[in-house]
Amino acid sequence: MNRFSLTSPRVYVPLGLVVILFVIPLVMRSPIFLHLMILIFFYAYLTLSWNIVGGFAGQVSLGHTAFTGIGAYTSTLLFIQLGLTPWIGMFAGAFLAALMAVIIGYPCFKLRGAYFALSTIGFLEAFRIVVENTNEVFGIPIKGAQGMEVPLRGDSLLYFQFLDKEPYYYIILIMMFIALYVTYRISKSKFGYYLLAIKNDLEAAESLGVNIAHSKLKAAAISGFLTGIGGTFYAQLILFIDPANIIGAYLAFEIVFIAVIGGRGTLLGPILGSFLLVPVSELTRVYLGGTYFGVHLIVFGAMLIVVMLFLPRGINDSVLKIYHWVIEKLERKGSHALEGVASR
Amino acid sequence: MALLEIKNLTKSFGGLRAVIEFDLTIDKGEIVGLIGPNGAGKSTVFNLITGVYPPDSGHILFNGESIINRKPYETCLKGIGRAFQVVKPFPDMTVLENTMVGAFSKVEKAGDAQIKAMEILDFVKLAPKRNLLAKNLTIADKKRLELARAMATDPSLLLLDEVMAGLNPKETEDTIALIREIRERGMTLFIIEHVMRVIMTLSDRVAIIHHGSKIAEGAPKEVAQDERVIKAYLGEAYVFARN
Repeated sequence: MNRFSLTSPRVYVPLGLVVILFVIPLVMRSPIFLHLMILIFFYAYLTLSWNIVGGFAGQVSLGHTAFTGIGAYTSTLLFIQLGLTPWIGMFAGAFLAALMAVIIGYPCFKLRGAYFALSTIGFLEAFRIVVENTNEVFGIPIKGAQGMEVPLRGDSLLYFQFLDKEPYYYIILIMMFIALYVTYRISKSKFGYYLLAIKNDLEAAESLGVNIAHSKLKAAAISGFLTGIGGTFYAQLILFIDPANIIGAYLAFEIVFIAVIGGRGTLLGPILGSFLLVPVSELTRVYLGGTYFGVHLIVFGAMLIVVMLFLPRGINDSVLKIYHWVIEKLERKGSHALEGVASR
Repeated sequence: MALLEIKNLTKSFGGLRAVIEFDLTIDKGEIVGLIGPNGAGKSTVFNLITGVYPPDSGHILFNGESIINRKPYETCLKGIGRAFQVVKPFPDMTVLENTMVGAFSKVEKAGDAQIKAMEILDFVKLAPKRNLLAKNLTIADKKRLELARAMATDPSLLLLDEVMAGLNPKETEDTIALIREIRERGMTLFIIEHVMRVIMTLSDRVAIIHHGSKIAEGAPKEVAQDERVIKAYLGEAYVFARN
């Protein structure tokens, strides 16, 4: 059986899964369900972007929502003030986010481990508090803690706004695959090898010609850029941005939970982690959220402890083992079937 | 023009004078040995050459160009490779991936890096283990990987810091042969070693450093007879002189 033909399970299983993801909205019409899927893909997208710095380079950032914040505020302000479509505003936001990532990274990357993580929280909280307490910048209102509404345009592809869930579903699904592709290409490139080397042994990497600062800042810029775009998506989905959420520590921590439980530094970890944690998060929010705010974070914490005890590298490796076992079973079945036919 | 010229190199750490007015010249194609008691300043000299920290005073010229304020990644790109005394493999990467990181200093594409890395791994005879994770290697193989990785950066000068430490006699023999082959490939070698036999057999010239100062320099046989060296290394050199 040809390894790359359509009849090989190695091809049709992943292909089938991708097709299923694209077909879901045609079959499951419930907006609540679609919203859940959108959130799963959204968190996966943010975590995939985070993974470039937190997983590949090994620098755990607990303040990545600084970038969703910049992305969301930039595209929204450009929309409100200049009528610029968020499709373009999103890139402006992304560039600013990348710039901020480099500016934050420059001093912070000199710090190791926990100190780096603390410094990212510091920046995030400072940024959030500044925005919350600022009503206008150079005469442009940003409304501080009140938040801003994204001007309504109804159903408009041009202005990145839709009345139904389906368009958002497809957009974020494609974004997720783009982020996955970007991380895949990085992992196979010189840049990816260098990041991995830095994560393994800083001194050895340097002695082999790796410019540590340059690599880390490049990772920060790419990660910040992608995360910024995620911020714009969120703004267009919810049509309302406020600092507590879009520059929120909760969201920043959730990303890290998903990455660690999914598998930091792996390709699919962020997606697996998101599929596991987001439904849990939404369920706890639905059933307990009204009474106890933030309970889903307690659940996340508990899951984190369990995973760290039994699967310290995240669920990625175990899931892939099960996946390959299934593939091999299917392959054997397939070749037996062929033999059966041939022997007649 | 000498490949490496060190003049009047001095470095102190607080009150500790680690390297004091150290002079040394290394010509292309040579194998120069650096010996001395533990704590004499040998690894510090290596650190100063590669740029881990800058010297307090003195010059280091590589191919006529000063490399004093260069960082380690820059000196590597200029052509100085280094194998560390305490091996530093990338533990969660395979032998091949480890070597590819070295190869990437001179190439851009992963395919080219892989070819180059495989060539080096074949040369040091680590190719059969290329897909093993570095953390699972024996100490001898880790040392060999350290060597392969440094070689993959295509250096003109290779600094070897006690590559024989912890090896059994057979492994030591193999490594001596390997180092000779490396020289044949056109690399110049600057070797720190404690195993006398190794240094004396391999080196064209030997320098002895003691309490940060160079106390002798010359051909191995001359240096072994030098009184100051025998005093610093009472016993070892004695045995060698007998041979």
